[in-house]
Amino acid sequence: MNTKATKPAEGGSASGGKTSAIAGVRKLLPLLKEERGPLALTALTILLASGINLSVPYIFGYAVDHYVRTANYPGIFTTTLALLVAFVIALGTSYWQMQLMGRVGQRMLFRLRNMIFSKLQSLPIAFFNRNKAGDLISRINNDTDKLNQFFSETLVRFMMSIVMIVGSSIFLITINWRLGLAALIPAVALYIFTQATSPWVKKRNAESLRATGGLSAEIQESLEHFKVVVAFDRRDFFRDRFAIANKINFKAAVRAGIASALYPPIYDLCANLAILIVLGYGIYLVSMQSLTLGLLLSFLIYVERFYGPLRQIAMLWNSFQLALAAWDRVSEIIDEAMEMPVLKADKASEGAFVRFNAVSFSYPERPDVLRNINIDLERGKTYALVGPTGGGKTTTASLMARLYDPTVGTILFDGRDLRSYSEVERTQKIGFILQEPFLFTGTVLENIFYANTNFATSTNEEKVDAINSMGLERLLSRFERGLDTPVSGADSISLGQKQLIAFMRAVLRKPELLILDEATANIDTVTEELLQQALDILPTTTTKVIIAHRLNTIEKADGIFFVNNGELTAAGTLDKAVDMLMHGKRQS
Amino acid sequence: MKSRISSGIHHFVNNKSQKSKNTLFSLLPRYKGWILGLLALSVFGKGLSLLLPRMVANGIDAFNSGHFDIMVIALPFLLICATMLISDYILGIIQTYASERVTRDLREQLAAKISRQSYAFVQNTTASKLLTNLTSDMDAVKMFVSQGIVIVVSSLFILLGASVMLITTNWKLGLSVLVIIPVMGFMFYGIFSNVGALFGASQKIIDRLNKTINESILGATLIRILHGQQSEKEKFIVVNTAAKENGLKILRVFASMIPLITFISSCATLIILAFGGHLVIVGQMSIGQLAAFNSYVGVLIFPMLMLGFMSNMMARSSASYARIAEVLDAPEIKNDGTLVAELTGDLELRDVNVSFGETPVLKHVSFKLPAKTRTAILGPTAAGKTQLLNVLTGLTPPTSGDVLYDGKNVSQYDSRHLHAQIGMVFQDSVVFNLSIHENIAFGREVDKNAFDLAVTTAELKEFVDTLPEGYDTLVSERGTSLSGGQKQRLMLARALANKPKVLLLDDFTARVDANTEHRILENVRKNYPDITLVSVTQKITSVRDYDHIVLLMEGEVLAQGTHDHLMETSPEYVQIYESQRSTNQYEH
Repeated sequence: MNTKATKPAEGGSASGGKTSAIAGVRKLLPLLKEERGPLALTALTILLASGINLSVPYIFGYAVDHYVRTANYPGIFTTTLALLVAFVIALGTSYWQMQLMGRVGQRMLFRLRNMIFSKLQSLPIAFFNRNKAGDLISRINNDTDKLNQFFSETLVRFMMSIVMIVGSSIFLITINWRLGLAALIPAVALYIFTQATSPWVKKRNAESLRATGGLSAEIQESLEHFKVVVAFDRRDFFRDRFAIANKINFKAAVRAGIASALYPPIYDLCANLAILIVLGYGIYLVSMQSLTLGLLLSFLIYVERFYGPLRQIAMLWNSFQLALAAWDRVSEIIDEAMEMPVLKADKASEGAFVRFNAVSFSYPERPDVLRNINIDLERGKTYALVGPTGGGKTTTASLMARLYDPTVGTILFDGRDLRSYSEVERTQKIGFILQEPFLFTGTVLENIFYANTNFATSTNEEKVDAINSMGLERLLSRFERGLDTPVSGADSISLGQKQLIAFMRAVLRKPELLILDEATANIDTVTEELLQQALDILPTTTTKVIIAHRLNTIEKADGIFFVNNGELTAAGTLDKAVDMLMHGKRQS
Repeated sequence: MKSRISSGIHHFVNNKSQKSKNTLFSLLPRYKGWILGLLALSVFGKGLSLLLPRMVANGIDAFNSGHFDIMVIALPFLLICATMLISDYILGIIQTYASERVTRDLREQLAAKISRQSYAFVQNTTASKLLTNLTSDMDAVKMFVSQGIVIVVSSLFILLGASVMLITTNWKLGLSVLVIIPVMGFMFYGIFSNVGALFGASQKIIDRLNKTINESILGATLIRILHGQQSEKEKFIVVNTAAKENGLKILRVFASMIPLITFISSCATLIILAFGGHLVIVGQMSIGQLAAFNSYVGVLIFPMLMLGFMSNMMARSSASYARIAEVLDAPEIKNDGTLVAELTGDLELRDVNVSFGETPVLKHVSFKLPAKTRTAILGPTAAGKTQLLNVLTGLTPPTSGDVLYDGKNVSQYDSRHLHAQIGMVFQDSVVFNLSIHENIAFGREVDKNAFDLAVTTAELKEFVDTLPEGYDTLVSERGTSLSGGQKQRLMLARALANKPKVLLLDDFTARVDANTEHRILENVRKNYPDITLVSVTQKITSVRDYDHIVLLMEGEVLAQGTHDHLMETSPEYVQIYESQRSTNQYEH
């Protein structure tokens, strides 16, 4: 009783969520490039395992027709035994296949995380100013976690479901193409339904993700600033702000959940409708003699094996949508065009060590901070930038270190456009002690020699020697356990101690240009003298730019610039600078 | 069968990130109505779905016996489908709504709890851990409510229902097929007991990944100055590789699951074919019942899988809820002070000691500051100055000793009322992502005059007037759009806005230029004549005319008195004075 209609009808119109799934996966294709070999192997194992598993209902139906209905015991026995062997083979193959696929997922995830992290490292500081740190962190953590889930677990099952769907539909259509097509009608309806609704669901989910980002940013901000909340006893303020974010999050999550909850019942409905269609039409076909009863049983199983995975895709849909939304947000970062390209080196010109050539600067959508600045700094000299707060001192220093590029004009460093230095070169030559010191988790020693290539291969003793040679060893007594003092968490060591580390970190790199931005503001004056001595040990060719409010730190300066109101004015002497400070109009 | 099974895995994924348990159940009574609705609807829907295979079987048998009428089957079948569609969608909505509500309430409860805690609590627990409690631990609770409850109950129901269906259809075949239940049980037990520890490890690795990302964002500027990108990437790759390795370990165990389930259920098919075939041959069973058996085996495997996942989920859930409960059950700071009194501003410390663990930070600190006087606290980096202020504000409770306001212990006061009369300006700028006005008023009722006075005193008025949106200008989270000095002044205005009786300044002048500093302190003196001022500072000049100077070193009060007194009695003070003397001429 063979099936007459064996023409493989026009392709498996098996779909449902499949097409959009592929569209989504396509976005991730670049990451798959290196996985062609393993993927090909996976495809083979999938075909083998699924082939065996999928043919079971057919064989079952065949056995019913040929052996059960004819009471052929040896036939039943042989079939059972053959199937058992096939199952064992399928067991081994599909385990291998799961492993292969899972590994591909893990490696892709590995590459993806590296890609995001590398991109983050290549973005200029302006990017971080534009984005809220808390939000950015939560976005990256959350989104990579969503992708993690997708790659580690969802993807494998997604692919398997698709294989099942395709395989089942092939069997459905081969056994009896008319009944097969009829069984797939609800799937087409599902496909249209999913296509029509998924943008809406995706949008709801994206909104929910955003609300979650907002909530964690809110929590993070409040928790990090908790001492202010306590000191001002504004605990209700914290609660109120939290309550608002919590409510927004709740609403968005419910809206997203209600949208996603639509799929499973609809998928169940279609699967059941397909069974009804197969039953009705199938029995008609059996009565017309174009189908056997055994194959109708097989058919019913295939319908289930077709719609089951489809339903699974529906259940995975949410996680898939979340992954896509996460991927969209991560792509935003990966595609971020903001960069600071290194220009081709032009010929070095004679002249000042650092030259500002008609430099103007403004932060995006803000008035100019600096306007048409022209200054020259000589090698080996010490310069001070003074001026009221908010006058533009830090901005000037940041431009010198190329944290930003001037909006107009150029900065020449040792005769060459600052933009033509590679990052390695530039960071070796220019040292910058920031106003807000930052420490990485680790020890004091690790922080002092952070990213210092000169000491990359040094032993700890050599590092200690380097510290001693700068006369900095006395500073180490400020730390409970010296160089081994652990650094973790924001408040484990004081601001002054952080500044000490930042100072040592910068000085030990022996830069040609050293910028100190309020570098010692929270260090007592006795310690500060030690720091001054360390500065004096630096080669005489070292150019220093100092921003400070304590005038003794700048009294030895060779040149003083008064920075205010977008202008840099050479103040000549310290007295003159003090005079300007005292009487100059404060514009901030 | 595979289809049902794999859709079970889906739940597992979603549940993976969740937790709940024991105490978690104590959450539920409050949501009795919702929970009962959930259970009723899920049992109802599953019950209906169990009827469908039997209807199909009846249809086939009716055809076999020659009186098949599609309408007899189709009408009730469609009716059941439609009912399921509606009830399942309502179930989905309730799942979403109930779970989001439970989470929202719990989150609010937790936030309220945190808001009542001491600063030390938040510091010790760490902000990032609390953030996890409020986000991913909450997700765990959410999943428990939305899926856990429903799945456990409906799985048990189906397991029971399907078994009944199998046995009533044909008890001999039914019992033989049900043999697979204990086999599956053993298998799940083996897999899940292996995988549990690995999931725990994976959570830790994800924390490490996030930490590395966070530091690279918070330290973005420094990394760009030191060219630390490479070492950041190296750090990241180490952690990322660990994540991959762990993922692969999980995979090794996990990859066996789907193939094994498929295998076992296939074996059930073999039993049905061989033994069921025999029963059909000997006339104890119909072909339709054979088909129904196949369907019910599929129905059976899914809930077994779910129960396996749930047992795993519950184990991890308990850990997560335990973390939340730990915070919820943490002892609150005693705030049984009831004293509501206008402060005059007398301050006294009596033999105050503070230690962090083993490390003493303040040792036997005693001093008396009469109301309306000005006191400076002077000392080298890491002398304990900031800690001293924290003790004065009550941020850090003393390990021993007393803090007295107007002769009465701090703990006697109603903290709300007391804090309203103390203004504190921190060393590091704490600026919230709010408008300037909101940052200053900080959720308190500040009348216009008090606000204006605070702003004028902090010398912020001129600056704010240059902003197009004035006091409504949004200050970004990390305050990047304000200079260091502007942020400090904003914090001063915040402290003054409530007309405090006591003002505590922590190194306030470090980031403000001398001229502004001088004017601001004059303003404070003029506009707030009755204030008791305590100022931690590095600069002797700005405080030499203060009523009292406390010299702090290594957590001990080395000397105290007026400037002249200290110049005569304290060699350390003289040393500091000498180191600053060179600048004195410029500063007054």
